[in-house]
Amino acid sequence: MIKLTRIDDRLVHGQVAFTWVPSLGVDCLLVANDKVAQDDFQKMTLGLAKPAGVKLVIRSLEESIQFLNDEKNKSLKVLILINSVTDASVLVNGVTEIKSINFGGIRSGEGKRLISKSVAISEEDSTLIHTLLEKGVELEVRQVPTDKKQMIETLL
Amino acid sequence: MITNILITLIAVFGHLEDFLGTTLLSRPLVLGPLVGLVLGDVTQGIIMGATLELIFMGNIKVGAAIPPDVITGGVLGTAFAIMSGKGTSIALGLAVPISILAEMILSGLFIFRAVFNKKFEQYAEAGDIQKFQRLHIISGLLKPLLMGLIVFLALFLGADAMKVFLDMIPLWVNDGLKVAGNMLPALGFALLMHVMFNKKVAHYFFLGFILSSYLKLPMIAIGGIGIIIALVITKFTEQNFDSDDGDETADGDEAMSSLSKKEVRGIFYRSLALEANFNFETCQNTGFAFSIIHVLKKLYKTKEDISAALKRHLQFFNTSPYGSTLILGVAAAMEEQNAKTKDFNPESINAVKVGLMGPIAGIFDSLFWGTLKVVAAGVGASLALQGNIIGPVLFIIIYNGPHLWLRYKLTFIGYTQGNRFLQRLSGSKLMDNLTFGSSIVGLMVVGAMPSLLMSVNTPIEIGTGDSTVALQGILDQLAPGIIPLLLTFLTYFFLKKNVKVTLLLLGLLVLGFLGSMFHIFI
Repeated sequence: MIKLTRIDDRLVHGQVAFTWVPSLGVDCLLVANDKVAQDDFQKMTLGLAKPAGVKLVIRSLEESIQFLNDEKNKSLKVLILINSVTDASVLVNGVTEIKSINFGGIRSGEGKRLISKSVAISEEDSTLIHTLLEKGVELEVRQVPTDKKQMIETLL
Repeated sequence: MITNILITLIAVFGHLEDFLGTTLLSRPLVLGPLVGLVLGDVTQGIIMGATLELIFMGNIKVGAAIPPDVITGGVLGTAFAIMSGKGTSIALGLAVPISILAEMILSGLFIFRAVFNKKFEQYAEAGDIQKFQRLHIISGLLKPLLMGLIVFLALFLGADAMKVFLDMIPLWVNDGLKVAGNMLPALGFALLMHVMFNKKVAHYFFLGFILSSYLKLPMIAIGGIGIIIALVITKFTEQNFDSDDGDETADGDEAMSSLSKKEVRGIFYRSLALEANFNFETCQNTGFAFSIIHVLKKLYKTKEDISAALKRHLQFFNTSPYGSTLILGVAAAMEEQNAKTKDFNPESINAVKVGLMGPIAGIFDSLFWGTLKVVAAGVGASLALQGNIIGPVLFIIIYNGPHLWLRYKLTFIGYTQGNRFLQRLSGSKLMDNLTFGSSIVGLMVVGAMPSLLMSVNTPIEIGTGDSTVALQGILDQLAPGIIPLLLTFLTYFFLKKNVKVTLLLLGLLVLGFLGSMFHIFI
């Protein structure tokens, strides 16, 4: 069962390990990212940050979709971590179970604007967000579980 | 007037924590006694500080999520309460709303600070280290100065009005607030449970409760037992993870490293100001640059090189300040390699920073917020609630002893061993055991909190005439401190059901008031 799909460009960090994992009671962290899946250094550091008693799975996007659609894994309580809106829309297209996406943190940069304290989006992201909203996917902004859910359509 | 200025200075000192390594000198447990000292009643200050600490227990800073500003709220609440001769309940009643208001102002400042990012970029472009450092410090000082101004104005303009207002409060409100204030720590404890409590470790929570409730052990003893149990369970003594001592190699390998021990130590000292210029857009980026700017100055001689290095470190950065020196050490070593070797790719420095900042935050937030802060505050508050000044002192020592030692060591480990250290760490079971072990200690201490640190009783009597029995007596025979425990679990249950924190706060207030009015709780 997918407990949460979270966009967070720091992937596994304090907010995830220390607030989301215990609060959701998940037993599997899935990092779905093409680059990280190839990068031994990042895999190692993410492994260090993993909270005790939780399984950490690092896969490319395509393999992640297979992983999530695999009947064998349905008993796992999964928290999916991705680092961009683009990857989010790929996952939504591949996995029908994902009905809601949490925007945790996307840092700002060239051509991006802050829409909340911790989320910055580009024009391209904005287009993808509209497509996702049309599909009826819930898009909410929360850094930690005790934050109030802010719907993304009210922030654009 | 002098009093007002002194109290303002206390608030300024609290906010200066961003320059002092996030050492928790800003917590109510520490600032309360200082306010008490200025107003001539240290004991009251200690007790109020401890009570506020309990309520704001679960109120912690993780990542860029900003909690209520307990510095401003705590200082003003305590000051108004002591000045008007009112008790702890009034301090609470004022501190909670003020903290929430002040947090909004702070959020505004963190948004505004991003304006300076353009300036930082210009200085980086020009390779102007002096101006870069100065702006980091000036922007950092904005927070203590702004909040200090607010505290001063509140005291200057509001003290008299506040006294009149507080004198108008009828007795029943005061009684209600007192009971409600005694109940509010349940929210703090429940917030802690929310991040620590799960089926796998739940029994340690109850062990903590039993030790405190039936055996009446003090918090220090329970923490100590927790550490021993954790060591036994993780078989800690049997594993040997040697981290060959950082400092030894730092000055031994002259050929390898061109930084002196003093300069590496400088990274540690400068890292204490890591969070001074925190803003929502780039978080701790200028703090990171500030921490190794003296290294860059030494390594790079041309303006172009310095400019490139400064610009490199202006990228978004955010991690736990407590583990930041490890990354800073690694970055310093890589900068050195970059300065020495022609074909080094400087892009890899940021790649490593980005790769490390999340994981390091994950580890250190859990260890420091999840365990060390809980133990330190538990021990400190339990003593301070009785007016004992040792409470705040122990709180600072328990937290900062390990913090500063580790932060110092990690600077050298990062610089001399860098990624090799992390590789060895990931190969050992140390990290797993450390997080699991510390969750045991933390949870035992939290389990002991309701019965040790909360006092909610019932005056209800059962039966009529001569045969009345006090309900509290029966409950005490069953399990002393059962009401605080049940309240904590009730709050935790609603928290799990995604009820908002502010709603729970109000709920507990109402419950306290009603309970006091109908004589259900005292």
